[in-house]
Amino acid sequence: MTQLRDAYITGTGAFLPGAPVGAEAMEDHLGRIGGRGSLLGRRALRWNGVETRHYALDAQGRATHSNAGMCALAVGAALEAAGLGREDLTYLAAATTQGDYLTPGHAAGVHGELGAGPLEIASFQSVCGSSLMAAKAAWLSVRAGEHDVAVAGASEFSSRWFQPAFYEGTALVDGKGRLRAEADYLRFTLSDGAGAVVMEPARRPAGLSLKVEFIDLVSLADRFDPCMWAGASVEGRTDPMATWSFAGPVAAHAAGAVALLQDFDLLKRVIRAWVGVYLQKVDQGRIVPAQVDHLLCHYSARSLRDEIVSLLEKTAGMIPQDKWFSNLATVGNVGSASIWVMLDAFLKSGRLKAGEKVLCVVPESGRAFVGFMMLEAVG
Amino acid sequence: MSDVASVLRQLAVVFTEFEGRLEQTPLIRKLTRGRFELADYHAFLIGLRQQVKDGALWMSRAASNIDEDHLELRSKLMRHAVVEHRDFRLLEADFVAAGGELAVIQGAEKNIGSEALSAWMFHEASRPNPFGLLGAMWIIEGLGSIKAAEWGGLVRRRLDLPDHAVRFLLYHGENDAEHIGEFEEMLGLVLPDDKVAERIVKTARVTARLYALQVEEIGA
Repeated sequence: MTQLRDAYITGTGAFLPGAPVGAEAMEDHLGRIGGRGSLLGRRALRWNGVETRHYALDAQGRATHSNAGMCALAVGAALEAAGLGREDLTYLAAATTQGDYLTPGHAAGVHGELGAGPLEIASFQSVCGSSLMAAKAAWLSVRAGEHDVAVAGASEFSSRWFQPAFYEGTALVDGKGRLRAEADYLRFTLSDGAGAVVMEPARRPAGLSLKVEFIDLVSLADRFDPCMWAGASVEGRTDPMATWSFAGPVAAHAAGAVALLQDFDLLKRVIRAWVGVYLQKVDQGRIVPAQVDHLLCHYSARSLRDEIVSLLEKTAGMIPQDKWFSNLATVGNVGSASIWVMLDAFLKSGRLKAGEKVLCVVPESGRAFVGFMMLEAVG
Repeated sequence: MSDVASVLRQLAVVFTEFEGRLEQTPLIRKLTRGRFELADYHAFLIGLRQQVKDGALWMSRAASNIDEDHLELRSKLMRHAVVEHRDFRLLEADFVAAGGELAVIQGAEKNIGSEALSAWMFHEASRPNPFGLLGAMWIIEGLGSIKAAEWGGLVRRRLDLPDHAVRFLLYHGENDAEHIGEFEEMLGLVLPDDKVAERIVKTARVTARLYALQVEEIGA
């Protein structure tokens, strides 16, 4: 049997559209629902700690990029950072929550925008965790010897979904013109952008590369209902046969099924489940907290409630907060792209030294999923 | 590894597996999917009452089997039993406030899961130095401090009930923050010890499975 090769991240790239939009301006940038201010917005902003973010819609609501176009820009930047050209690329895995098209897949759209000649592609559609699903495919492709230059890219254009027309005149707005909390909160949470990593079977001749030690992905969708979703109403979300296409687009829109929605009661339970999966990894010795030099978590430490931090500390699972690196506060929560946007900023920060270990954690509330990627700096 | 932090970690993993299993039971599915009706709440309280009533009893029995080298743990269990031994009355009052008849809840039989859970608890509590029961307490206290308030909130909203009909579930959530600290202290009284650590985790697993069986059997 052929030996599996090691695979390294040799370049990262990020793309954030437009100028940063501050917390005080973001609601007007997206547009108010029925002209009214949000009831939950301030609380959401305090909780997620996002101060500035980026949108691929300008203040007049005109799109400056497509979702695929942003991903292609991040892929181009990652290839350039690796010292490679588009012609070197042979495998493209692309992730997103919602591509520009319902079908075909996002990777086809990204390839279309990227050029780069005939490629093998793979599309991964989920929420934040789709980033690591794509990364695992790229990593295994390199490890198996199928490809020498693979890219995992991820991008989001959430603000399209936050335009008032998605909510107005639907069941998501009550008689008094108030938007349901399930819809309102996410408008203040997510924003736009893209990120990508290049994987190769050898480290860069100069500078740091990141050897991928493992990518572990765990879904708990067998026990939890959808927690963050689009394509079903709040009431209808647990029945796959009540999803949008059964009723057709017009009826689905009226029912409030064509919107990004989140169940916050369920989210609390899902957070505990993520922590449980993490502690299991610690217990199995797969993750040794004391050996982690840097933690990049697509979830801010300040959003974890005290009892979760207390549980992590008492179970010797906590990675001290001075080891956490995050740029969520300044670039926003960019869904699947966040982990790559964060990794890109982390590498540019100059904090990383050869021999250090970096743990990337990507929890996805979609339907209770969590991914872990362990990297070691070499070079 | 049998230090307190390692055992707590394993117990936390057992608890999240337990939560996942509860999530899939027909009764809790009804609750989280908005299909929970008053009759379900009545059945829920009837199902819970048996274990709540037994809880202080097996804890007392366990305390009586703890030797004099572990008097501090014995004191803690006895105090715990005193605090909780009347809780089932509160649960009965909720049942009545939610339109149920007292005689119905008091006369109800244990379901299959409750029978198994109760037999298991008293069996364990009857052994000398039954430290494994700390694992059972982790599961049952965890339900009280984490799940009960969640369920109580959902029940109140779905059924539009007044607070005084959901006191048992809501009131249990109050001592949330102290829960882990107190438990950690109790573990410290018997750990580190490999055999005890193993037994605590095993007892937590069995208790979680039987508790989930009790909930599965409610209204089944």
